[in-house]
Order: sequence, then structure tokens, then C-alpha cells
Amino acid sequence: MGKPVRQFQIISKSPAETARFYSNLFGWTVNSDNPLGYREINTGSVDGIQGGIWPAPPQAANFVQLFTAVDDVQACVKHAQELGAQLIIPPTALPGGVELAVMHDPQGMSFGVMKTG
Amino acid sequence: MWASSILQVMSRFAFRDWLSQELEKRRLVNPRYSLRAFAALLGTDHSTVSQVLRGKRRVPVAVLRRWGKRLGLAAEEVAAYVAMEHVPDALITKRQEELRHWTAEALAIMKDQTHWQIVRISQMPGFRPDCRWIAKQLGVSVDDVNVSLSRLLRLRLLKIERPRQWKVFVGRGTVSEAEFHKCALIRVRQLAADCGVTLGRINRKAASERSTIPWVSQ
Repeated sequence: MGKPVRQFQIISKSPAETARFYSNLFGWTVNSDNPLGYREINTGSVDGIQGGIWPAPPQAANFVQLFTAVDDVQACVKHAQELGAQLIIPPTALPGGVELAVMHDPQGMSFGVMKTG
Repeated sequence: MWASSILQVMSRFAFRDWLSQELEKRRLVNPRYSLRAFAALLGTDHSTVSQVLRGKRRVPVAVLRRWGKRLGLAAEEVAAYVAMEHVPDALITKRQEELRHWTAEALAIMKDQTHWQIVRISQMPGFRPDCRWIAKQLGVSVDDVNVSLSRLLRLRLLKIERPRQWKVFVGRGTVSEAEFHKCALIRVRQLAADCGVTLGRINRKAASERSTIPWVSQ
């Protein structure tokens, strides 16, 4: 029940350096051995949520996105747009069974929704 | 104490609003206090003050400092008004950011072959929807593939509806690199227009040789 925040994502212009920094600081393990080459972060704790690092385009600043778990990504995107959200990445099926979409809320802040399995 | 007056200054928004209040304060004391008298106090003519109060004329920094001093503003308050008078309009700033964003998207499409190569390779037999494999085939880093892949998805030039099915929205059948660029730039203009940003036609040859997009006025 509910719509939990499932994952954080650091969008970084220097993803390798970002991975190194947080690994050194917090002892997080970063693994990119997956079909997307996505830097998956394991915080080493069952508390909180896990995350990942994605490379930022040159014109963007570094920022953090939160991905909320939903039952139906398409329906959520439609609802969000009715509420004034702007679609940035349309619903996309990633290898491994994850479906996600990225939007800007009406105030321009980036957020994601995802469905696993 | 000066910090609280700074906060008061920030809440008044514009110097001319404060100037208008100073004139009214004097008129409350003396209903016959004239605009000419106020202008004389400021060391200028009444026409200039009138235009400033009506928002028809901006106040140069040097003049703002001089008038502020004559009316007893603290140095910190003057500095705050100077800063506020020169803060770009929020709407203009937003438009400039949007223009920069869409220009950067178009420039990236034009100058980085990875976008075209991903589109091309995704339609070939034996394609593996694995960014590590794609990076190896193209001789670029996985991060380069992912930056380009994200852009293709943002621009709706590529769609991944199922993990092994990458659908390309660029022309019909096999397209050339030039056709890809043309379609991509049209898409950039469409999406920019959806955000209220009008982009003209692009001189593609010039863009590929320069570091900025020479948008051609329509």
C-alpha cells in the first residue's frame, strides 16, 4: 500500500568521481555490471533506500532524483500531466524488468516513477 | 540591526517603490510638498523623478547610490537595492535557460556521432540492448552511450517499450546520418515550441563547424 520512494538517483557530470567520493565517504558499494552499465549503489544497510548514479548531460547541473514506486507507470504519467507535470523521459522498459518515466513537477523539479517486476 | 533593515529592503522589491514611499512620507507632513521639491532634494529634475516613479525609466547604479545617500539610506540598504535593481527578470531568465537547454540538445545531436550510431546499431541484426555492448561496438564509454541514450529518449527519437525492442522514430526505413540530423533538429524545435521557446531553422553546416548553434530567423 502507499507509494514509497524506492530509489534515489544521483545525476552527475562526473559519475565515476561521484561514485568514488561516496564510496570513500560512506563505504557504499557501486556496481555497474548490468546491461545499462548503471552504477547501482548499495548502501550496505537495510534501512533507507538504495540508489544509483547516472551521467548528466553537459548542460545540466548535478542533482538528485527520487523515484517513487507505482503500480502503473503509464497511468501515473497521464495523471501527473493532468496535474501539470512535464514529461521528460516517456515510460521506458529497462533490462531487468524495471519500467520508469521521468518528469518535471509543476515547479520544474525532476522526479521519477518506477515499477519493478 | 542592519540585517533587519536589509530584510525590510528586500521586501519592498524595487527602489522606485521605496522612492515613492519617501515622497508620500513628505507629503503626509506637508500636503503641498511638490515633486519639484523632491527632485531638488535628489539633485535632479522633476521630469526624471516622474519617469522613475512611473516605471518608465530605470535608475542607473550611480544615481541610485546618490539618491539613496541623499535620502539617508544606509550603505547596506543601498547595496541591496542596487542588487535588486539588476536582478534579471525571472521570466527572461527562465526563457534564457530554456533556450540554452534546447540549443545544447541540438548542438549535442549535431556534434556527437554517438546518437546517430546508437540509432543505426539498434536497427541492425544481432543488436544487443546492452549499453556495455553498444559502447564496445562504437568504441566509446558506457557513460557516453548513456548520455546519448537519455537524449534520444528525451527527444522521443527512440523508445524502449520492451527491454529488447528499441523503436526508432526517425524517418522511414534506413536513414542516413544527414536525415537523422534533420529529423532530430525538427524534433528539438517541436519540443522547444511545446515549452514556449521558438527556435528558427539551423544552418547545419555552420553548426557542425562551430561551438554554438547559429539559429536562422524564420
